[in-house]
Amino acid sequence: MFTESTVTFIALGAIFAFSFYAVLNAGQLSLGQAGFASVAAYTSVLLAPDPDVVGDLPALLAALVIGTTAGTVAAVVLGLPTMHLRGVFLAIATLGFAEAVRIFLLNAEWTGGAQGMTVPKVVTPAIAWAVLAVVAYWFWRSAPTRYGRALEAIREDELAAGAMGIDVGRHRLGAFATAGAVAGLYGVLWAYTVRLVGPADFGFTAAIDGLVTAMVGGTTVFIGPVVGSTFLTMIPEIQRALGVEAGWIRPFVAGLLLLVVILFLPGGLAGRIPRRLRVPELDGADGEGGAVGARERAPRGDVVARLTGLSKDYGGVHAVRDVDLEIHSGELLGLIGPNGAGKTTLVNMISGLVAPSSGEARVLGVAAGRTPVHRVAAAGVSRTFQHSKLFGRLSALENVLVGGHLVTRPTLVRRLLWLPSARRDERAALTHAARCLDRVGMLDAASTRANALSYGDQRRLEIARALAADPSLLILDEPAAGMNQVEAGELARLIRSLADDGLAVLLIEHNVGLVRQVCDRVVVLDFGEIIASGAPSAVAADPRVVEAYLGTEA
Amino acid sequence: MQQLLNGLFIGSIYALFAVGFALVFGILDRLNLAHPAVFAASAFIGIELVTVGGLPFWAALPAVAVVGALLGLIVERVAFRPLKGRADAHFAGLISSIAVAGMLIALLQWRYGAETRRFPADTFPATRFDVLGAQVTLLQVVIVAVCVTLVVGLTWLVARSRLGRGMRAVAENPTAARVLGVDVDRVTATTFAISAALGAVAGALFAMNVNSAQLGMGSAIELKGLAVIVVGGMGSLPGALVGGLLLGVAEVFAVQYLGSAWRDLIAFALLFGILLLRPQGLFGGRRARQV
Repeated sequence: MFTESTVTFIALGAIFAFSFYAVLNAGQLSLGQAGFASVAAYTSVLLAPDPDVVGDLPALLAALVIGTTAGTVAAVVLGLPTMHLRGVFLAIATLGFAEAVRIFLLNAEWTGGAQGMTVPKVVTPAIAWAVLAVVAYWFWRSAPTRYGRALEAIREDELAAGAMGIDVGRHRLGAFATAGAVAGLYGVLWAYTVRLVGPADFGFTAAIDGLVTAMVGGTTVFIGPVVGSTFLTMIPEIQRALGVEAGWIRPFVAGLLLLVVILFLPGGLAGRIPRRLRVPELDGADGEGGAVGARERAPRGDVVARLTGLSKDYGGVHAVRDVDLEIHSGELLGLIGPNGAGKTTLVNMISGLVAPSSGEARVLGVAAGRTPVHRVAAAGVSRTFQHSKLFGRLSALENVLVGGHLVTRPTLVRRLLWLPSARRDERAALTHAARCLDRVGMLDAASTRANALSYGDQRRLEIARALAADPSLLILDEPAAGMNQVEAGELARLIRSLADDGLAVLLIEHNVGLVRQVCDRVVVLDFGEIIASGAPSAVAADPRVVEAYLGTEA
Repeated sequence: MQQLLNGLFIGSIYALFAVGFALVFGILDRLNLAHPAVFAASAFIGIELVTVGGLPFWAALPAVAVVGALLGLIVERVAFRPLKGRADAHFAGLISSIAVAGMLIALLQWRYGAETRRFPADTFPATRFDVLGAQVTLLQVVIVAVCVTLVVGLTWLVARSRLGRGMRAVAENPTAARVLGVDVDRVTATTFAISAALGAVAGALFAMNVNSAQLGMGSAIELKGLAVIVVGGMGSLPGALVGGLLLGVAEVFAVQYLGSAWRDLIAFALLFGILLLRPQGLFGGRRARQV
């Protein structure tokens, strides 16, 4: 059953599936991999030296290097203009690219047209599996690094990932380039295995096969593509062993499998393998220094955010109108107002998610809304969201680890090289994350998936994640929503202690009692305008505030 | 003139096919990649109805539409309904419809084998007309008439009928539609059925026009259909019609001026240009979902 060619094709299928895994793991659906593979295969066949002259292995190595480069270049060239496309649109654009490449190769003079070009057979099962091992190694080692977690965070929630300081565009392009490189490897190996490079092998069907393999195997665990490829390559073999030769059975079973997996096993076959992440012990002492760099914070009383004439219009609706406001470090500023008063819009402008229509939000030295979100986060703004935007399929601890993106060091390269310092840095990052979890009282839930947590716990986890970035300005958007009295009381103490540590905290809350209890200063927003500002007790007595909340006496 | 007419003939089939894509995308915000498989299946089934069942062509067409509608219901039931309410429904629906498409094509291969099938030679009278100096066959006239009637009829249905109102309500906000008493599941299923029926008719007409049906015909037109709805604005019905005709004409002229080899590149050039320059498409004025 395991003939030499079956063994080789399992490895090839897995490598191709890895090129889908590379982007799916980061939440992008690209169908252009067959295009990258064909570009790589044709380029390397044209440029690589003849195996009869330099020997099989050197020729193949040269071809692999050329192919990987060509695949990466093709991916970056396609990726730069299409990275702003999302979901279905990206899938269509990449599919169109692959198809255009195929038609081009079919019709160009130098490619041999539909016949293709003959290639010497060089690849042995050992070579194919060696390349697969290298590819799998990359994905295995890169998963639990800052880079790998950032990709997963983007998959789970792109907006929140940006707010945690992750440069979404660069990471997405990185994933895309990886897909191109791996697809390039596949293209070259394929050509030197089947002795032919022709356009028919890199069509739509090939792309779907790769996608099916990756999905069936699983797109969240690095072993997934290997599992998927073994499974799908073996179907015809099993068929043959059973004496059922009909050609339609393999595509039918492949389709059925894909359907079953997507409906019942969203993580793929390998998704059943549990992910383990050891929760570090927190033994009171501060650990051995570690690499988590605490960021410099503005001295108490300094202005961290200055809003001048800030406005936002949506069509004819003035969501926020001409707001002037200063936020100082060490201050707990409450922002209240009736529903629809523009609180969230204001906060979105301060954290850089929404560009103001006019006016300026100068936050920690950057112009929020005119700079990319991750730069605003890097300047020291961290936030929670009104509708919790956690990374649902990651554990609580992993969520907080992503939150620490800005204060931890990149470990990808060092992990690939097994440098001990990478291990130290990862452990320091874990300890830092665990400490943040502990601060909100959630260390016990560290290994629970975020979307399995109760509503109140999700809110607290968001705070821990925001804290992990060691911000200078922390924005909490209705953190007490859905909490009972006791929980809200604990939360109030936590928030107060954060401000006492010297952070500037901007608290949006509907629970007016909570705001009066903890805030130093309160700003009231109504119809997008500040109608009152000052000490909590003074504001609560302001007739305009009473009117905004209760309406005028009839 | 001849070229322009030829372009319109092939373009109207593209439009009819793409309208099915656009309808589901516009109302349900899902891309149904099983649509091309329905297109291919109906071509084979249409040929069987004529050759084995002995139906005349004009009777086979509605029969094919009914078969297509049934296939559409199955696709909805198997690939889309189980995903309802899942956070990744958008993405998962794409994959599950690819899966169903693969199974459907495999079944076709089982029943009809891998060879090309054809309508019998006498299925349709080979009458020809002269229109403004160009040669036009009766078949081509029928194709354009059927396609345009169906697309216009569908547009009317969505804009005016009670069902159409339900569809637009679901497109706007499924939860609110349910609260207001719209049977969302039924509207969804009906949408799939109509979409697939149109795709089925397109498949039969296409097979009639080129006088062959192959297993790969679905994936060949799939990319063109995607190009058409991207160009027209995802989910816009008039956009799909105009986009389809535009693509047909552009292809015919590409054959004349660039050579037949490059015909298939036109779709991708259009697709790419639109995605990069005007991602909402020619007719997708609003960013929001629309029917």
